[in-house]
Amino acid sequence: MVYVGLISFALTFLALIVGTVFAVIGLSRKETSLSPLTFNAAVAAFALHTVAILAMVLLQITEDYSVAYVADVINPAMPMILKITALWGAMAGSLFFWSWILHLVMLTALVNKKKLLDNWSFLVIGVTNLFFAAITLFIENPFAQIWELVDGNIVAYLLSPEAGAVITKVSGVGLNPLLRHPGMIIHPPLLYVGFALFLVPFAVAVSQLIRKTADDALLDQTRSWIIGAWVFLTAGLALGSWWSYGVLGWGGYWAWDPVETASLLPWLTGTALLHSLLLERHRGIFRHFNLALVLSTWFLVVFSIFVTRSGLISSVHAFGESGISRMLLVFTVALFVVCLGLLIWRWKSLTTPWEFKSAFDREALFLYTNVILIAIVVACLWGLLFPLLNGAITGTQMALDLSFFQNTTAPLFILLVLLLAVCPLVGWSIASLKRIGKLAWIPLGVAVLLTAGTALLGLTKLWTFVGIFIVALGLSVLIMLTIRDAVATKSGFGKMVWKQRARYGAYLVHTGVLLIALGITGVHTLSNEVEAHFAVGDRMPFGQYEVVFDKVTEAFENPEYLTAKAQLTIYRNGAEVVKLYPAQHIYSERNQTISIPAMQSTARGDLYTNLIAYTADADGDFAVVTVIDNPLVNWMWVGALLMVLGGLLALSLTPKASKRLEAAPELLNGQETVQEK
Amino acid sequence: MKKKPNHKFIIGGVVIAAALMYLLISSTISGSQYFMTVEELQTQKAEYVGKNVRMSGSVLGDTIQYEPKTLSLTFEVAQIPGDHKLIQQMGGMAKVLEDAAADPNAPRMTIHYTGAKPDLLQPAAQAIVSGSLDANGVFQATELLLKCPSKYESALPKQAE
Repeated sequence: MVYVGLISFALTFLALIVGTVFAVIGLSRKETSLSPLTFNAAVAAFALHTVAILAMVLLQITEDYSVAYVADVINPAMPMILKITALWGAMAGSLFFWSWILHLVMLTALVNKKKLLDNWSFLVIGVTNLFFAAITLFIENPFAQIWELVDGNIVAYLLSPEAGAVITKVSGVGLNPLLRHPGMIIHPPLLYVGFALFLVPFAVAVSQLIRKTADDALLDQTRSWIIGAWVFLTAGLALGSWWSYGVLGWGGYWAWDPVETASLLPWLTGTALLHSLLLERHRGIFRHFNLALVLSTWFLVVFSIFVTRSGLISSVHAFGESGISRMLLVFTVALFVVCLGLLIWRWKSLTTPWEFKSAFDREALFLYTNVILIAIVVACLWGLLFPLLNGAITGTQMALDLSFFQNTTAPLFILLVLLLAVCPLVGWSIASLKRIGKLAWIPLGVAVLLTAGTALLGLTKLWTFVGIFIVALGLSVLIMLTIRDAVATKSGFGKMVWKQRARYGAYLVHTGVLLIALGITGVHTLSNEVEAHFAVGDRMPFGQYEVVFDKVTEAFENPEYLTAKAQLTIYRNGAEVVKLYPAQHIYSERNQTISIPAMQSTARGDLYTNLIAYTADADGDFAVVTVIDNPLVNWMWVGALLMVLGGLLALSLTPKASKRLEAAPELLNGQETVQEK
Repeated sequence: MKKKPNHKFIIGGVVIAAALMYLLISSTISGSQYFMTVEELQTQKAEYVGKNVRMSGSVLGDTIQYEPKTLSLTFEVAQIPGDHKLIQQMGGMAKVLEDAAADPNAPRMTIHYTGAKPDLLQPAAQAIVSGSLDANGVFQATELLLKCPSKYESALPKQAE
């Protein structure tokens, strides 16, 4: 099975080379459309890659411990689902999986009815896929086996070294327990698919820049790719954050770790791209801006992979230093040069007439939105690269801590959400402050009332009020506009939403963002944390609650680890609210202990408990527990879900349907609600 | 393009760029940390007392002392190089960490941290601590991160490039 996988992976590589060579031959004959030979070679490459992936999965589920990767991430006690998903549990496997996802995306683009790919764009995809397949095949190959040399040394090699024999371990190490969480099982594939989907718009854009086709085809062809990529990326980031919150036991959701930060960057430029694409549709402006965003989004995807896998930027998430660092560095830098070169070369031909008509029409607000999104990208890039640059220039090594990211991005994010809150009030036509004022008094009133209401609840912090005011303003604007349209429409509400699903999809996404802002406001301004040291029977007052420690129990619920469970009873006003069981799983063989937080989640927020240390002996049980009150935190997950659903709603609008709407733009109320074409 | 709106556009752009620059520079100054090795900090102790420092070293397993009731965690780390290239040349991070922990002559530093004992705190793990040196030469960590290269991987040299 090892050789089935290895050979089909090698053949994948060959097939892809053949396809790419045919594309180059085609180009040398000045043919732009894809030849059937290239098409067939690429399809074959995907099929072979799939065989190789299946072989790897088979090796994992049959626990073939002669394979180094299997011995590293699998052990017999793991359930079947984890044995399969361990494919992306460590470096070699996840790189292999990423390469397959890229091939899958290539296939999807190839079979696309609209003939999305020509020789140029295929060349871009082919070279990219060849690069990632090559570093997997030649450097981080998951099919490497474990060999014992005559001198007794044990090594991992792909093919037999001189005078060596394959040895098979009885059992493997098993997947890192921290990664055995549903969020971590689905998070990487979602992120990879989101990343990979941006390759297609990038390839199409590069082809257009080279061929100098100045039509708007880029938009129509790749709109759904960009929205799709954005949806996957949003879901992937949200799940990663949920995992961090639910598993790592620190009660936080985002730590500005370099790897997290880097994976946020393509999302930010992708979001900017979605907005400016809309502008190009409406006004035929911003073409150069759009192309720059398409190019930089893909570049940031590659940059993010570089940060994660090269180990050059120190991070707890990174895979650690590896043999592929230098290759990735070269690829990333080369990509940067190509992108920049293409843009400079074609900049003049892209410039579109544009006038800054008003500082307060929707074009202007979209522009501000994108400027802020890009400012956040700049701040994050600076934070990531400053330590490297500073080290190269001054020789002293420096790093930027968490406060850098918080101080720079917080004001920008607040401005962004504020813009998002008021933007729907502003129409596409020239608007003035006066008109905004006329529409704004209802939501403004609602927001002021709600904020005043929270003051009555006894909250005192300024930033709580700011957060709640902005969220209330944004939500009431969206609700007001939807009600107004629902009253004005002649068809039913459901039909109206469906007909204008790009617009209501955007509303839903924006509602999601506002709910996330609400959650962040709660966590950052209202959260309360104590570290409690308990002996049995100790009662600790905690805000409106009282926390009582009952006992600690130890049991082997699973052959792999010992479970230590603390029992806490939570009271409010003397009445029992809930019993919580924060636990530790102690993997003695791995010498690793992981905490399993326990929480009570409600719409109000989470009561989050984490067992930090304990003793269970004759003197009586003793436990150290972190208790965190995280108000409003769950609205973040609801918000993320709405963002994904809203994206899917907008995605369901096929290009054909959008064409039709373009022909008959619906003008409701004269000026405000030009249908999103 | 008309000239007047263009002016506005440029002025707006300059204002935004200036604001962003201010934000970046001020946050860089307040958020900077000196990234030092154990050896560098040991040799320049006086200069860095009280300054925000990030340091990384190899955990010495038998020095770990943890008092669960007070959450007081003390352990020593041994010198590992700060230079990525050098680490590669020395056989990779896992090997460097193992060697540093086994070398009795490697410069060492005592770390004190108050809080939960991290799951990954184990012999020859890479500890990344943020905090500052106190007057007694003990590193008072406010943040403790651990990275653990898999032991199994260290027994298996990566394939030749």
